[in-house]
Amino acid sequence: MEKSEILTRVKEVVSSVLDVDNSEITDDANFIFDLGADSMQSVELVAGFEEEFDIEMDQDKAMEVQNIDDAVNFIAEYI
Amino acid sequence: MNELQKLRQENLETLFHPKSVAIVGTNKVKGTVPHDILDNILKADFNGVVYPVSPRESSIKGIKAYKYVVDVPDDVDLAILVFPSSVCHMALEQCGQKGIKSVIIISAGYKEVGEAGLKREQQLVEIARKYDISFIGPNCLGVINTTPETNLNASFSREMPEQGNIGFLSQSGALCTAVLDYAQAKHIGFSKFISFGNKADISEIDLLYYLMNDEETKVILMYLEEVSDGEGLMKAAQEVIEKSGKPILIIKSGRTDEGASAAASHTGSLTGKDEICDAAFEQAGIIRCDHLEEMFNKAIAFAYQPAPKSEKVAIITNAGGPGVLTTDAAISRGLKLARFSEETTKVLKKALPATANINNPVDVIGDARSDRYLAAISAAFADPDVDGVFVILTPQSMTDIDTIASDIAQLAEGQTKPIYASFMGEKDVASGINILQKHKIPHYSLPESMSTAFHTVHHFHKNLKTRVYQDINLEKIQSQLAKEFMAKFSSNGRAYIPEVETIEVLQTYGMPVPQGKMAKSADEAVKIAEEIGFPVVMKVVSNDIIHKSEVKGVELNLGSAEEVKEAYDRIHSNAKAAMPDAVVDGIYVIKMVRGSEEIILGIKRDPSFGPVVMFGMGGIFVEIFKDVSFGVAPLSNEEARTMIEQTKAYEILKGTRGRSPRDIDAVIDAIQRLGQLAVDFPEIDELDINPLFVLDEGKGCVIGDARMILKKS
Repeated sequence: MEKSEILTRVKEVVSSVLDVDNSEITDDANFIFDLGADSMQSVELVAGFEEEFDIEMDQDKAMEVQNIDDAVNFIAEYI
Repeated sequence: MNELQKLRQENLETLFHPKSVAIVGTNKVKGTVPHDILDNILKADFNGVVYPVSPRESSIKGIKAYKYVVDVPDDVDLAILVFPSSVCHMALEQCGQKGIKSVIIISAGYKEVGEAGLKREQQLVEIARKYDISFIGPNCLGVINTTPETNLNASFSREMPEQGNIGFLSQSGALCTAVLDYAQAKHIGFSKFISFGNKADISEIDLLYYLMNDEETKVILMYLEEVSDGEGLMKAAQEVIEKSGKPILIIKSGRTDEGASAAASHTGSLTGKDEICDAAFEQAGIIRCDHLEEMFNKAIAFAYQPAPKSEKVAIITNAGGPGVLTTDAAISRGLKLARFSEETTKVLKKALPATANINNPVDVIGDARSDRYLAAISAAFADPDVDGVFVILTPQSMTDIDTIASDIAQLAEGQTKPIYASFMGEKDVASGINILQKHKIPHYSLPESMSTAFHTVHHFHKNLKTRVYQDINLEKIQSQLAKEFMAKFSSNGRAYIPEVETIEVLQTYGMPVPQGKMAKSADEAVKIAEEIGFPVVMKVVSNDIIHKSEVKGVELNLGSAEEVKEAYDRIHSNAKAAMPDAVVDGIYVIKMVRGSEEIILGIKRDPSFGPVVMFGMGGIFVEIFKDVSFGVAPLSNEEARTMIEQTKAYEILKGTRGRSPRDIDAVIDAIQRLGQLAVDFPEIDELDINPLFVLDEGKGCVIGDARMILKKS
């Protein structure tokens, strides 16, 4: 899968979980600092990515991922 | 004060008196720290502008919110960061870009959680240095300033405390909320209330200096878990006390000691970390408290009432038993009962019933109402021999408790003498106690606590007047020669330095070394003995033999050439028999000392306070009696004298039961010189002088034995 496609789908998950307009999500947006994710939403994001891409991620490492770019690269390792 | 410390003082001024505050990372979720901090600031009626900064919200509590702190259109004086630790550095970076210099970082998840957290904390410090930011925290409860011009409750405490003149600093955030609750119940007010958490940037030392100049603060209280810069803390405390006269009361937790048992020397085994902390605090003038109740009992005495001019008190009671208890408590804490003048006795006789006791302690009798208390207290205040009044009350059916409390408060107004009260009991006296507390009359449930508090206040102010800060001026120190000796030891990679070489180093610092030399043959030993005069002592010299007596390597009281010759051979063969592999360098021949007291001196290096000198009674029971005291070097003449006076050995050295007084001044000089050596050579880990023979007054003292342990390089 191309990274551009992963990026698009990651943004869709983020938009849905955090209830943020897709257009406000920049490629380097930080889930907490820029998008206001709280701790529960951070867990929901990981679950959302797993469901979207049908993968199972290392939970501890996944929780360390903080922004859109890093999430794309991290998910790419599992696909 | 260096440039960074000066910057912190400037930034602290803004931090406590901001005109505008941004809460960075706040939200709308009640019961969470990011929300409650904003809520508390608003509830406390902060005298300034508040800017919520939240990535998701456009407004919170009807106030416009900004996505980033850099979006705030106006200047911001203080930023409070409540983001999770993973992104706080981003918020701090933006604070720097915005030109905000004063920051409080509430968030946890730093040094306290391990290596990764420590790295995040260091990152915060780097950003702060880049932008000249000073910050409190991370991992803290926040800061409160009760000054009406500011009214800042930048914390997640449940309540804003009453305004007062006590400044409270705490390393523990959770303890802060307990203290606030405790204080609120007793109407204890605060000027500043500061939880400083991990003290990654602003430390307790910076805060002490700030409170020194804070006009609203009269008393400084602190809860500390670790002393990371003991020398800095001592210096700051001394300066604060000397310049401002404000008492500093500290609870330092962690009284247990695990290190002493592993130590190799006498000094090591007699030196617990906590004893050194006690000694260092005492030296700096800090009042160390064991628990919160003790701390506040003393704090209210300092904060509410004038300082007593002497230790003479008048006790006014409506019950004989409690009067006796209070008298016992007062006397056992070094207080004295004032002797009433004829005029006072006359007034009391007229005002009180015939059955009353008109001497001190005054018993106004169980059925006394407010008028009798008033008369007795007024008379006591007027008596020239009285410098403080203790009022004791027990609740009888006719005792008008609340009126008595109100009258005490009224009488105390404008007085130059302190008045403390103890309304004994619980339920019936509760409202009376409440009146006393509201009117800032120190109240104690026990007369013992009342007497201790009075004594502490009197002792502090007496010391403040008499304390002399002396320069340390030691002559005849050959530091260059000492450096050469020490360089030789370290180049050989040695850790244990035996007697002869340790004494050589001590001699360069003008210490009283014994007359004597090392002999390499029996004939040489005889020659040395004849030069210094009989009788002599002979000791084996070997890097391999630490405990000379255990190998029968010491012989005393050798009075002739023949005895010296025989002893030389005997010591050699004893050492060979006990430790065949030990290399014997020679035999040390020194003059035998008679008619002296034996004491022990030592150096120990403390991780918090640095070089420490130990003084104590010597002899074979030194580790059993533990009659020792400590002082952080360098030590002034007065500080060295205090070290001696703190021990029972002092009574012996002064001369007791017909024994002649010993040369205490010589011991003081030796303590000071040893302290200077410890300061000048940080590579000395431990040093023992055991014994130091103290001769009669004016005749000095002589080192009996010494050894040194150097840090492993």
